[in-house]
Amino acid sequence: MAKQNNRGFLQASDRQPLLFDWIFSVDHKRIGLLYLYSVGSFFLAGVLLGLLIRLELIAPGPTIATAQTYNALFTLHGVVMIFLFIIPGIPGAFGNIMLPLQIGAQDVAFPRLNLLSWWLYILGAFMALTSLFSGGGPPDTGWTFYVPFSSETPTNVSLALLAVFVIGFSSILTGVNFVTTIHRLRAPGMHWGRLPLFIWSLYATAWVQILATPVLGITVVLVMVERLIGFGLFDPARGGDPILYQHLFWIYSHPAVYIMVLPAMGVVSEIIPVFSRKPTFGYKAIAASSVAIAAAGSLVWGHHMFVSGMSDTAILVFSLLTFLVAIPSAVKVFNWVATLYRGSISLDPPMLFALTFVFLFSIGGLTGLILGSASTNMHVHDTHFVVGHFHYVMFGGTGFAFFAALHYWLPKVFGRLYNMKVATTAWAIIFVGFNLLYFPMMLVGLHGMPRRYYDYLPQFQNLNVISTVGSWVLATGLLLMFVNLYRGMRVGAAAGSNPWQAATLEWIVTSPPPTDNFTHPPQVTHEPYDLEQAGKP
Amino acid sequence: MNCNLFFARLPFLKHNGLSLLTLLILAVLLNLPATGVGAVQATAQADLTDMDPMPQHGQQAEQQTPQHQHDHSNQSMPNNEVGIDEKIGAFIPLDLSFLDENGESVTLRELITGPTIIAPVYYSCPNVCAFLQADLARNLPAIKLQPGQDYRVLSISFDERDTPAAARAARKTYLTAMGQPFPEQGWRFLTGEADASRALTEAAGYRYLRQGNDFLHPVVIFVVTGEGRIVRYLHGTRMLPMDLTLALTEAREGRLGSTIRKVVRFCFSYDSQQKHYVFNLLRIAATVILVTAGGFLLFLFISGRKR
Repeated sequence: MAKQNNRGFLQASDRQPLLFDWIFSVDHKRIGLLYLYSVGSFFLAGVLLGLLIRLELIAPGPTIATAQTYNALFTLHGVVMIFLFIIPGIPGAFGNIMLPLQIGAQDVAFPRLNLLSWWLYILGAFMALTSLFSGGGPPDTGWTFYVPFSSETPTNVSLALLAVFVIGFSSILTGVNFVTTIHRLRAPGMHWGRLPLFIWSLYATAWVQILATPVLGITVVLVMVERLIGFGLFDPARGGDPILYQHLFWIYSHPAVYIMVLPAMGVVSEIIPVFSRKPTFGYKAIAASSVAIAAAGSLVWGHHMFVSGMSDTAILVFSLLTFLVAIPSAVKVFNWVATLYRGSISLDPPMLFALTFVFLFSIGGLTGLILGSASTNMHVHDTHFVVGHFHYVMFGGTGFAFFAALHYWLPKVFGRLYNMKVATTAWAIIFVGFNLLYFPMMLVGLHGMPRRYYDYLPQFQNLNVISTVGSWVLATGLLLMFVNLYRGMRVGAAAGSNPWQAATLEWIVTSPPPTDNFTHPPQVTHEPYDLEQAGKP
Repeated sequence: MNCNLFFARLPFLKHNGLSLLTLLILAVLLNLPATGVGAVQATAQADLTDMDPMPQHGQQAEQQTPQHQHDHSNQSMPNNEVGIDEKIGAFIPLDLSFLDENGESVTLRELITGPTIIAPVYYSCPNVCAFLQADLARNLPAIKLQPGQDYRVLSISFDERDTPAAARAARKTYLTAMGQPFPEQGWRFLTGEADASRALTEAAGYRYLRQGNDFLHPVVIFVVTGEGRIVRYLHGTRMLPMDLTLALTEAREGRLGSTIRKVVRFCFSYDSQQKHYVFNLLRIAATVILVTAGGFLLFLFISGRKR
């Protein structure tokens, strides 16, 4: 059991100022926490922007913002949430902290590179923020930066693109680091069949980061070249092609959706067996489906472009491939449900969030099929239906998994528990608020309300009001959750080394974990979800 | 080579003998010969391609039709004489008088009593004006407002040679084309003197040029309030009922909108040779990424676990 005065890796050293001790640390756990604090801050910023967007849409016509301000608002909300929160969120924070612990390693393979990734991320974030206040004003293109608008708008798109470029490098470096760590630093006895499923999902994610992110880099460089020296690559007047941009952009950005959601699925795969007190059902199927999602997900980008002008053959192929992604996703969902079956389920906060993930992700996934089939896509393309759909996947999916991870692992990281009742209450408020906020969006989208407009027809108002009220409920729940977690981490009861009686390796070390993780490399003797072996390596 | 087919075939692994350097030089050359004639005129909030669901091939084909000389200003013809300067917020003169379908004089003040859609056309126009008005005829029934009461449409000819008889024929054509009853008061067809139409179009920033019996002119309609204030322009021959309704709602409330979608009609010549080089560049990049990543994976498997 952990001693209360043992603060593990959190123990301040007396060699240098506290701040330097953290921002120049090469300890994966400290870097993970740096990520956690930064993505958490950007998440809150994104939430604020989202609340403003919803407030503008509470009534038709200009409410609190003009068209131009609204365009900047939704662009920022998208850029902050996508590039600064969801993509680095779970891998950067919990991947960094848990990856070496779960495979029995002392650190990641390249600790200094790891620190560089975080610095690049912060540099990129800083540049993105600077783009708001400098040049021609905040970008107004939407987070997709579509040409020709992005190559012509006088707003400060160039700097924002450069920021995305830099953050992309951070992502690639993290991917290389994780892949190498998983291949080379597994403890004795930790063979591929004993890797925790979170590690499998990080592995698949890391490959997508390595393969897809360079394309994003190339794409934003091309747009910058177009803006700065007028290359004409996307300008039909000079033999270029604006559709080319969309292909390049989505070759990265669709796989990026899986960068966002795969680690979330990994988190859920960790939590469900522990709180069902049962080994996970279909370990190999879940592990393989992570890799299958990563592979198939890299070939479906064209489904964003059904109305952009593609040949019918291309539409058919992309539509088919999109449907194929549903198969490994469903494999995961069915295996989670099978794990629950006849388990001894305890509805602790991590489990509540994980189960909510399954529910909301299923809604998001199934509405994705409506968008993935070409004919229905024509009807709902660029309506609020799409907005509702991807918030169900990204927020209902990855967001809730992030919250689940917070409730599951923070007691390990800080050695203290939060208040369970408050956490459960916060979950209930968030759940209600979430559905109030996003479900009406899908309805109003089916009725024909387009996305990205600050204004709408009067007949859409009722659903928009419900949605905006939902955003307030959701924000209240989030506030309660974060305050509860913060209080728990500061003054909560001692968690002990294994509060959830889980069997993966991070729970055999003290909480908080010692700086070197394991004094001796553990000899792994059992499967990750063999819960009777909990507490043994 | 069609870019979409290119991507559908996924030829990532096809090697290409050209060195990266050569490709870079070729890419620079890309910049030089500006052989294209058209330009994309999309500067809206919405994405370029979301506006016009017509496949690209169709757009290229359209280039062959005579239609494209009507379309837009920035092609071969005098640029500054034909086009549109959006004057959102400006007032049109309501005292101008025109002739209605029966040849009786009527002022705009009598007709513009509420939100009004104004379509500058000429009745002998061989195609785009007909497309524009046919599109109106298709979309007006979908608008959930009462024509003649809540709003009105005015087709106004800027060809002084047009007669009330031609206007009458146009009314018959488009009201019939709607396929359902539409009050004659809801859509009026006017003709008039050159002075009047010139004054109206100038107030709206609409510039056209006579070419023999025909005109070069932009394809655009605009919406004014009951006081004659311009609230929104709608470009192109394909509009959506939602855009029309939104514009009419704004006109009723006296709010000023902004242009949502400008017409996106690609009129460009297509140099497949140049395109080829761009694709080669991408092909090389894709190959480099895949080979590097593949080599990395191979190295990891060969080197195995760290001892």
